[in-house]
Amino acid sequence: MVEEYIPLIGGILGILMILSAYFTVRLNDLVYSSVSLAMLGLFNAALVALLGYTLVAVFLVIVYVGAAVMFIIMSVSMLGGGGEEKRDEAAGLFAGAAVGSALLLLLAGTGIYKAFTRASGVSVSHVSEILASDYGVVLAIIFVALAATLVEAISIARRG
Amino acid sequence: MAFVDAALAGVAVVSASVVAGLAAYGMSSSRNFLRQMLSIEVLFNAILLIILVLAGVNPAYTTAFAILLVSVVSGEVIVLVSIVVAFYRVARELQSTALEEEGV
Repeated sequence: MVEEYIPLIGGILGILMILSAYFTVRLNDLVYSSVSLAMLGLFNAALVALLGYTLVAVFLVIVYVGAAVMFIIMSVSMLGGGGEEKRDEAAGLFAGAAVGSALLLLLAGTGIYKAFTRASGVSVSHVSEILASDYGVVLAIIFVALAATLVEAISIARRG
Repeated sequence: MAFVDAALAGVAVVSASVVAGLAAYGMSSSRNFLRQMLSIEVLFNAILLIILVLAGVNPAYTTAFAILLVSVVSGEVIVLVSIVVAFYRVARELQSTALEEEGV
Protein backbone atom coordinates (compact mmCIF):
# COMPACT_ATOMS: atom_id res chain seq x y z
CA MET A 1 0.00 0.00 0.00
CA VAL A 2 2.81 2.40 0.92
CA GLU A 3 4.45 1.68 -2.44
CA GLU A 4 1.68 3.55 -4.27
CA TYR A 5 2.58 6.80 -2.54
CA ILE A 6 6.28 6.70 -3.47
CA PRO A 7 5.89 8.52 -6.85
CA LEU A 8 3.72 11.15 -5.09
CA ILE A 9 6.37 11.74 -2.41
CA GLY A 10 8.97 11.85 -5.20
CA GLY A 11 6.88 14.46 -7.01
CA ILE A 12 6.62 16.63 -3.88
CA LEU A 13 10.39 16.37 -3.36
CA GLY A 14 10.93 17.22 -7.03
CA ILE A 15 8.79 20.36 -6.72
CA LEU A 16 10.68 21.36 -3.56
CA MET A 17 13.97 20.82 -5.42
CA ILE A 18 12.82 23.05 -8.28
CA LEU A 19 11.71 25.78 -5.85
CA SER A 20 15.03 25.59 -3.97
CA ALA A 21 16.96 25.79 -7.27
CA TYR A 22 14.88 28.80 -8.33
CA PHE A 23 15.58 30.60 -5.04
CA THR A 24 19.28 29.77 -5.34
CA VAL A 25 19.60 31.45 -8.72
CA ARG A 26 17.14 34.31 -8.14
CA LEU A 27 17.29 35.58 -4.54
CA ASN A 28 19.06 38.92 -4.26
CA ASP A 29 20.80 38.07 -0.99
CA LEU A 30 23.57 35.55 -1.73
CA VAL A 31 23.54 34.22 1.85
CA TYR A 32 19.90 33.20 1.44
CA SER A 33 20.79 31.77 -1.97
CA SER A 34 23.45 29.59 -0.31
CA VAL A 35 20.95 28.43 2.30
CA SER A 36 18.58 27.52 -0.56
CA LEU A 37 21.43 25.49 -2.08
CA ALA A 38 21.71 23.57 1.20
CA MET A 39 17.95 22.93 1.11
CA LEU A 40 18.30 21.75 -2.50
CA GLY A 41 21.01 19.31 -1.40
CA LEU A 42 18.78 17.96 1.37
CA PHE A 43 15.76 17.48 -0.94
CA ASN A 44 18.05 15.89 -3.52
CA ALA A 45 19.35 13.49 -0.85
CA ALA A 46 15.76 12.59 0.10
CA LEU A 47 14.94 11.85 -3.55
CA VAL A 48 18.15 9.82 -3.91
CA ALA A 49 17.15 7.81 -0.80
CA LEU A 50 13.71 7.23 -2.34
CA LEU A 51 15.47 5.86 -5.46
CA GLY A 52 17.04 3.24 -3.19
CA TYR A 53 20.53 4.71 -2.84
CA THR A 54 20.41 5.32 0.91
CA LEU A 55 24.19 5.19 1.32
CA VAL A 56 24.66 7.89 -1.33
CA ALA A 57 21.94 9.98 0.35
CA VAL A 58 23.69 9.76 3.72
CA PHE A 59 27.03 10.63 2.10
CA LEU A 60 25.42 13.54 0.27
CA VAL A 61 24.00 14.98 3.49
CA ILE A 62 27.16 14.51 5.56
CA VAL A 63 29.90 15.37 3.06
CA TYR A 64 28.23 17.63 0.49
CA VAL A 65 25.62 19.56 2.48
CA GLY A 66 27.34 19.22 5.85
CA ALA A 67 30.81 20.24 4.70
CA ALA A 68 30.96 21.71 1.20
CA VAL A 69 27.74 23.76 1.18
CA MET A 70 28.30 24.91 4.78
CA PHE A 71 31.74 26.10 3.65
CA ILE A 72 30.06 28.06 0.83
CA ILE A 73 27.52 29.60 3.26
CA MET A 74 30.28 30.72 5.64
CA SER A 75 32.45 32.13 2.81
CA VAL A 76 29.53 34.00 1.26
CA SER A 77 28.58 35.41 4.69
CA MET A 78 32.12 36.74 5.13
CA LEU A 79 32.51 38.11 1.58
CA GLY A 80 29.08 39.71 1.28
CA GLY A 81 27.34 40.14 -2.05
CA GLY A 82 30.25 41.80 -3.85
CA GLY A 83 28.30 44.88 -4.91
CA GLU A 84 25.48 45.31 -7.36
CA GLU A 85 24.75 42.25 -9.47
CA LYS A 86 24.78 42.68 -13.24
CA ARG A 87 22.34 40.43 -15.08
CA ASP A 88 21.76 39.46 -18.69
CA GLU A 89 18.25 38.00 -18.53
CA ALA A 90 17.97 37.23 -22.25
CA ALA A 91 21.14 35.12 -22.32
CA GLY A 92 20.07 33.35 -19.12
CA LEU A 93 16.59 32.55 -20.38
CA PHE A 94 18.00 31.27 -23.69
CA ALA A 95 20.59 29.04 -21.98
CA GLY A 96 18.10 27.77 -19.37
CA ALA A 97 15.44 26.95 -21.95
CA ALA A 98 18.00 25.25 -24.21
CA VAL A 99 19.52 23.06 -21.48
CA GLY A 100 16.20 22.24 -19.80
CA SER A 101 14.36 21.36 -22.99
CA ALA A 102 17.30 19.38 -24.39
CA LEU A 103 17.50 17.27 -21.22
CA LEU A 104 13.74 16.81 -21.08
CA LEU A 105 13.69 15.72 -24.72
CA LEU A 106 16.66 13.39 -24.29
CA LEU A 107 15.65 11.77 -21.00
CA ALA A 108 11.87 12.04 -20.66
CA GLY A 109 11.04 12.15 -24.38
CA THR A 110 12.89 8.96 -25.24
CA GLY A 111 11.54 7.10 -22.20
CA ILE A 112 15.05 5.91 -21.28
CA TYR A 113 14.18 6.23 -17.55
CA LYS A 114 11.56 3.44 -17.81
CA ALA A 115 14.29 0.80 -17.49
CA PHE A 116 15.08 2.05 -13.98
CA THR A 117 14.56 -0.27 -11.01
CA ARG A 118 14.99 0.94 -7.45
CA ALA A 119 18.27 -0.13 -5.86
CA SER A 120 17.95 -2.70 -3.10
CA GLY A 121 20.29 -4.86 -1.07
CA VAL A 122 23.25 -2.49 -1.27
CA SER A 123 25.24 -3.00 1.92
CA VAL A 124 28.02 -0.79 3.27
CA SER A 125 30.42 -3.75 3.39
CA HIS A 126 29.75 -4.61 -0.27
CA VAL A 127 30.33 -1.03 -1.41
CA SER A 128 33.51 -0.68 0.67
CA GLU A 129 34.72 -4.00 -0.77
CA ILE A 130 34.14 -2.67 -4.31
CA LEU A 131 35.87 0.62 -3.44
CA ALA A 132 38.87 -1.18 -1.95
CA SER A 133 39.25 -3.81 -4.68
CA ASP A 134 37.89 -2.56 -8.02
CA TYR A 135 38.31 1.17 -7.39
CA GLY A 136 41.48 0.92 -5.25
CA VAL A 137 43.70 2.86 -7.64
CA VAL A 138 41.00 5.46 -8.27
CA LEU A 139 40.52 5.85 -4.53
CA ALA A 140 44.26 6.35 -3.99
CA ILE A 141 44.38 8.97 -6.76
CA ILE A 142 41.38 10.77 -5.26
CA PHE A 143 43.00 10.77 -1.78
CA VAL A 144 46.17 12.35 -3.18
CA ALA A 145 44.20 14.76 -5.39
CA LEU A 146 41.98 15.91 -2.51
CA ALA A 147 45.00 16.42 -0.25
CA ALA A 148 46.68 18.46 -3.01
CA THR A 149 43.41 20.35 -3.50
CA LEU A 150 43.29 21.36 0.15
CA VAL A 151 46.89 22.59 0.09
CA GLU A 152 46.15 24.43 -3.16
CA ALA A 153 43.04 26.07 -1.67
CA ILE A 154 44.88 27.25 1.42
CA SER A 155 47.75 28.54 -0.72
CA ILE A 156 45.44 30.46 -3.09
CA ALA A 157 43.40 31.98 -0.27
CA ARG A 158 46.50 33.09 1.68
CA ARG A 159 48.39 34.49 -1.30
CA GLY A 160 45.44 36.40 -2.82
CA MET B 1 6.27 -2.42 -8.70
CA ALA B 2 7.70 -1.72 -12.16
CA PHE B 3 5.13 1.04 -12.68
CA VAL B 4 6.07 2.66 -9.35
CA ASP B 5 9.79 2.52 -10.25
CA ALA B 6 9.21 3.99 -13.71
CA ALA B 7 6.96 6.75 -12.30
CA LEU B 8 9.52 7.63 -9.63
CA ALA B 9 12.34 7.65 -12.21
CA GLY B 10 10.22 9.84 -14.48
CA VAL B 11 9.57 12.32 -11.67
CA ALA B 12 13.30 12.38 -10.81
CA VAL B 13 14.36 12.90 -14.44
CA VAL B 14 11.84 15.70 -15.07
CA SER B 15 12.79 17.47 -11.80
CA ALA B 16 16.51 17.12 -12.59
CA SER B 17 16.01 18.52 -16.11
CA VAL B 18 14.13 21.57 -14.81
CA VAL B 19 16.76 22.11 -12.08
CA ALA B 20 19.54 21.84 -14.71
CA GLY B 21 17.72 24.43 -16.83
CA LEU B 22 17.50 26.78 -13.84
CA ALA B 23 21.21 26.24 -13.18
CA ALA B 24 22.05 27.12 -16.80
CA TYR B 25 19.89 30.23 -16.44
CA GLY B 26 21.73 31.25 -13.25
CA MET B 27 25.16 30.72 -14.80
CA SER B 28 24.40 32.64 -17.98
CA SER B 29 22.29 35.48 -16.61
CA SER B 30 24.48 36.60 -13.70
CA ARG B 31 27.94 38.17 -13.86
CA ASN B 32 28.55 37.60 -10.14
CA PHE B 33 31.19 34.94 -9.38
CA LEU B 34 29.38 33.67 -6.29
CA ARG B 35 26.06 33.35 -8.12
CA GLN B 36 27.77 31.49 -10.94
CA MET B 37 29.44 29.16 -8.42
CA LEU B 38 26.10 28.48 -6.71
CA SER B 39 24.54 27.75 -10.10
CA ILE B 40 27.29 25.23 -10.88
CA GLU B 41 26.46 23.48 -7.57
CA VAL B 42 22.77 23.42 -8.53
CA LEU B 43 23.79 21.80 -11.82
CA PHE B 44 25.81 19.17 -9.92
CA ASN B 45 22.72 18.19 -7.91
CA ALA B 46 20.71 17.75 -11.11
CA ILE B 47 23.41 15.73 -12.86
CA LEU B 48 23.91 13.43 -9.84
CA LEU B 49 20.20 12.62 -9.87
CA ILE B 50 20.25 11.88 -13.61
CA ILE B 51 23.33 9.65 -13.24
CA LEU B 52 21.69 7.65 -10.43
CA VAL B 53 18.57 7.07 -12.52
CA LEU B 54 20.43 6.13 -15.71
CA ALA B 55 23.32 4.13 -14.22
CA GLY B 56 21.25 1.81 -12.05
CA VAL B 57 22.29 -1.47 -13.71
CA ASN B 58 24.49 -2.49 -10.78
CA PRO B 59 23.41 -0.55 -7.67
CA ALA B 60 26.53 -1.35 -5.65
CA TYR B 61 28.87 -0.03 -8.36
CA THR B 62 26.62 2.99 -8.92
CA THR B 63 26.78 3.73 -5.17
CA ALA B 64 30.58 3.50 -5.19
CA PHE B 65 30.75 5.77 -8.25
CA ALA B 66 28.39 8.32 -6.68
CA ILE B 67 30.44 8.40 -3.46
CA LEU B 68 33.62 9.10 -5.45
CA LEU B 69 31.75 11.79 -7.42
CA VAL B 70 30.49 13.58 -4.30
CA SER B 71 34.00 13.45 -2.76
CA VAL B 72 35.62 15.04 -5.81
CA VAL B 73 32.93 17.73 -6.10
CA SER B 74 33.29 18.61 -2.40
CA GLY B 75 37.03 19.15 -2.98
CA GLU B 76 36.31 21.21 -6.09
CA VAL B 77 33.99 23.49 -4.09
CA ILE B 78 36.81 24.36 -1.69
CA VAL B 79 39.19 25.31 -4.52
CA LEU B 80 36.47 27.33 -6.27
CA VAL B 81 35.65 29.30 -3.12
CA SER B 82 39.34 30.00 -2.44
CA ILE B 83 39.79 31.28 -6.02
CA VAL B 84 36.79 33.60 -5.52
CA VAL B 85 38.25 34.82 -2.19
CA ALA B 86 41.64 35.45 -3.84
CA PHE B 87 39.97 37.31 -6.73
CA TYR B 88 37.94 39.44 -4.30
CA ARG B 89 41.09 40.41 -2.39
CA VAL B 90 42.73 41.63 -5.59
CA ALA B 91 39.80 43.19 -7.47
CA ARG B 92 37.57 44.23 -4.52
CA GLU B 93 34.55 43.13 -6.56
CA LEU B 94 32.92 39.86 -7.60
CA GLN B 95 31.86 40.66 -11.17
CA SER B 96 33.27 38.21 -13.71
CA THR B 97 33.15 40.96 -16.36
CA ALA B 98 36.42 42.22 -14.87
CA LEU B 99 38.15 39.16 -16.34
CA GLU B 100 36.66 39.48 -19.81
CA GLU B 101 38.88 40.62 -22.63
CA GLU B 102 38.25 43.88 -24.42
CA GLY B 103 35.24 43.56 -26.70
CA VAL B 104 34.19 40.07 -25.57
